Amino acid sequence: MFNIKGFIKTSLVDWDGKITSVIFLPHCNFRCPFCHNKDLVLNPNEFENISIEGIDSFLLENRDFIDGVVITGGEPTLHENLPDLCRHFKKLGLLVKLDTNGSNPEMLRYLIKQKLVDYVAMDIKAPVSDAKKYHISAGLDNLDIEKIKKSIDILKNTNIESEFRTTVVPGLHTVEDVIEISKSIGKESRFILQNFSPKNTLDDKFTGIKPYQREELEKMAMAAKKYVDNVKVRG
Amino acid sequence: MIKMKDNGFRPQQMSVTLEPTLQEDATDLTLFVRTSDEEIKKWDRNKITEALLRETDISEDAARIIAREVEKLIFSLNIENVTAPLIRELTNAKLIEYGLEHIRRQHTRLGVPLYDAREIIINHNKENANVPHGPEATNLTLAERIKKEFALIEVFSQDVADAHMRGDIHLHDLGMIDRPYCSGQNIEYVKKFGLNLPNAISIARPAKHPEVLIEQIIKFSAALQGTFAGAIGWDAFNIFIAPYLIGVDDTRMKQLAQILIYEFAQQAVARGGQSIFSDINLYWECPKHFEDVPAIGPGGKPTGNTYSDYMEEAQRFLKALFEVYYDGDALGRPFFFPKPNVHITEKFFTTEGHDNFLYLISKVASEKGNTYYVFDRGDTAKISECCRLAFQLRESDLEDAKQPWKMRYSAMQNVTVNLPRIAYEAKGDDTKLFEILRERVELVAKAHLQKKAFISKLLNLGKNGPLALLAMELDGEPYYRMQRATFLLGMLGLNEMVQAHTGQELHESNDAFFFGLKVISTMKKLADEMEEKYGIHMPLEQTPAESTAYRLAMLDMKHYPLQASAVVKGDKSRGEIYYTNSTYMNISVPISSIERVKKDGKIHPLIEAGALTHVWLGEHKPAPESIANFVEKTFKNTQNAQIAFSPEFTSCLDCGRVVRGLNEKCVYCGSDNIEGITRVTGFFSKINSWNKGKLGELRDRYRDKAI
Repeated sequence: MFNIKGFIKTSLVDWDGKITSVIFLPHCNFRCPFCHNKDLVLNPNEFENISIEGIDSFLLENRDFIDGVVITGGEPTLHENLPDLCRHFKKLGLLVKLDTNGSNPEMLRYLIKQKLVDYVAMDIKAPVSDAKKYHISAGLDNLDIEKIKKSIDILKNTNIESEFRTTVVPGLHTVEDVIEISKSIGKESRFILQNFSPKNTLDDKFTGIKPYQREELEKMAMAAKKYVDNVKVRG
Repeated sequence: MIKMKDNGFRPQQMSVTLEPTLQEDATDLTLFVRTSDEEIKKWDRNKITEALLRETDISEDAARIIAREVEKLIFSLNIENVTAPLIRELTNAKLIEYGLEHIRRQHTRLGVPLYDAREIIINHNKENANVPHGPEATNLTLAERIKKEFALIEVFSQDVADAHMRGDIHLHDLGMIDRPYCSGQNIEYVKKFGLNLPNAISIARPAKHPEVLIEQIIKFSAALQGTFAGAIGWDAFNIFIAPYLIGVDDTRMKQLAQILIYEFAQQAVARGGQSIFSDINLYWECPKHFEDVPAIGPGGKPTGNTYSDYMEEAQRFLKALFEVYYDGDALGRPFFFPKPNVHITEKFFTTEGHDNFLYLISKVASEKGNTYYVFDRGDTAKISECCRLAFQLRESDLEDAKQPWKMRYSAMQNVTVNLPRIAYEAKGDDTKLFEILRERVELVAKAHLQKKAFISKLLNLGKNGPLALLAMELDGEPYYRMQRATFLLGMLGLNEMVQAHTGQELHESNDAFFFGLKVISTMKKLADEMEEKYGIHMPLEQTPAESTAYRLAMLDMKHYPLQASAVVKGDKSRGEIYYTNSTYMNISVPISSIERVKKDGKIHPLIEAGALTHVWLGEHKPAPESIANFVEKTFKNTQNAQIAFSPEFTSCLDCGRVVRGLNEKCVYCGSDNIEGITRVTGFFSKINSWNKGKLGELRDRYRDKAI
């Protein structure tokens, strides 16, 4: 019923403060050159489906540790039955976090309205004001950037707990880009700058790129703090 | 050839009637001997006789005959370069010829071949990841060789020695046969008595200022490290230093923390130039048994208050320590020592400020990995020394708590049982397996009694003996309290034992796991029996097994090739093989950390001397809140005794950057002049000093994405 291609039993890095299990769904409508999960994106059918029963059994047995489930991928909102999957875990008494690229605002709105998600982490690939840059970072020729903007609005204007995250890649993003992004997400939002890891990337040219040093990311975070209260550096 | 019967009678008098030396071709032949004390002496057959009589039980007649025979032999061989060692070996050969094997044993020479000495002096010995390469280290290696042989011949009986050499059991730190294993004590001793060590050139009075107190503690630790094989642990450090911290501002507090940590981290003195293997035990809340104890302060004098009155200073110092750990060293690398053991009791969760403190130490755990979370549940008090060694405080100890300088504990020796081999020998038969296990534990008890006898002999020589430091009696009692000494019963390869016996590894089925649990609880029962029988307390311990996991795996591959190759872990082609440490589940299998802490937690209550679950972080850096969440749940929902989060680092020696994860090249400058750093067993070290077995294990380690 559900096309689950990956399951990590325990994660302490997918939802700050929470102990979660992580569910990976296949397929993605983006082709970000710096993506780590390229196999899930390019060749998802090579992975076997993982039974929901096995997952449920682990979750129930470890209810005393597990706070919730993180649904990621690939791009989860491509799946029509995503609400059913979220409902399934909510019924078990678990919290649900969704990772998304924000390309499906209608699905996002529905999930939030139906209280099927407790936290949303949305990737912002580049400043939304610069369509060309966004296309390059997302690895696409045609992308409806209005949809991205709509998703950002939804998250800004509803009560749902959320964060916006940008993987900062030398050659794709500069401090000006980070500042531009921070201007668009609203002062009260949470903004995470993620460091880029040059390992096993979708575009293998990217494995040769040297990541920004932590201090440089901290400087970018300081610059972003002018427009967003809550900025953190990860990795 | 006549077999000479030696009745072992040694005449009371040592003086020997000298016989004239053989003079064959007297005019031409004048033989000279190069002796061991760097002299060249003229040949004298009586020297052989004297040595035999001095060193062995041989009778005078037999000694003379042997000496004459050896002399004949040497002259007939026409050797140019006669050395004392050569004469000794020829004498030994003669003794065997005459059927005097047990005399030969007494007369044997210990030492290393020239080849080995060369190898040791030049190449790095990787048995212990702490030992750097250098003259002090090679001194240690060479000396340990001799002491090991000495131990196996003179301290342990033949059956115990043989069992060790075969690999049925492993006697730890044989090269340190003349020392106890590890220790736990209280800085109250230094506060009260100052620094007054035997053989010291100068004595220091009790300190008035915290800087001086810390310096004295460090020096005392270094002296202790010269007398113990393993860890030097200090209990409730921040509680007891607190009275010295009144009026200390934040800057000075941080400096004090830096002095303490850098001193312990960088002092490389005893045991061949290694760092002091130091543990500091820390508490956010005041332990119940110290609340009403009168505090000793500057100058070693009572302050008129009790320790619960100094909690503010104790907590400020504790926070300062963790800030230093968070910073790391000059390159941002984690400090290897001292190991900070944070004790968490039920009281912790109701003590003010605990959540911020838990956040701080979890931040350190995530960033650097130093924090050890020790769970003291249900009002049991523990002092954690070595990576996972703990002493449950008993009623009598709680009496001692009123005079904290008396709280001195030690494990004298550690002996580990080779569990997989028992399965090979039992061949699937449960009854046989438990019979053999019983035999092994009896043998372990025997070994402990023998070590105890030897150390007691040395201690009884008092201040003129080799263990003068331990015999000193500044408080009316020897520093080393024999009545509080424990004797550890360790185990290796429970996973492989269960695998060989049941066909499944511990994690593969409930039945397999329960069988493993049964083995450990049987070991505990047997150890209790030994205590009844022999009067020695033998708690179970999770042997860190740095080199033992490799040694026993190698021996089993040799002696039980079929059975061992089916279960041994690691890369056989590279020779990087190992048995899974102590009671752990297979470390390469994707068992989530939750399952590990829960399952390990089922075994931990049986392991009285302390146990630890590693949570391997790899390159991941969880948010502190996530770690704190995990720690709290582990305390409340499991019986797990202790956890530590272990990240991995790659440190570039060219550009100085340190990144998470183990890489082959620096991701910033591309250099391959890098050092990998992570936990080997319970402590951090550089990977290039690890032995083959540990390297194999590192390759296999499963790292959850999370943990």
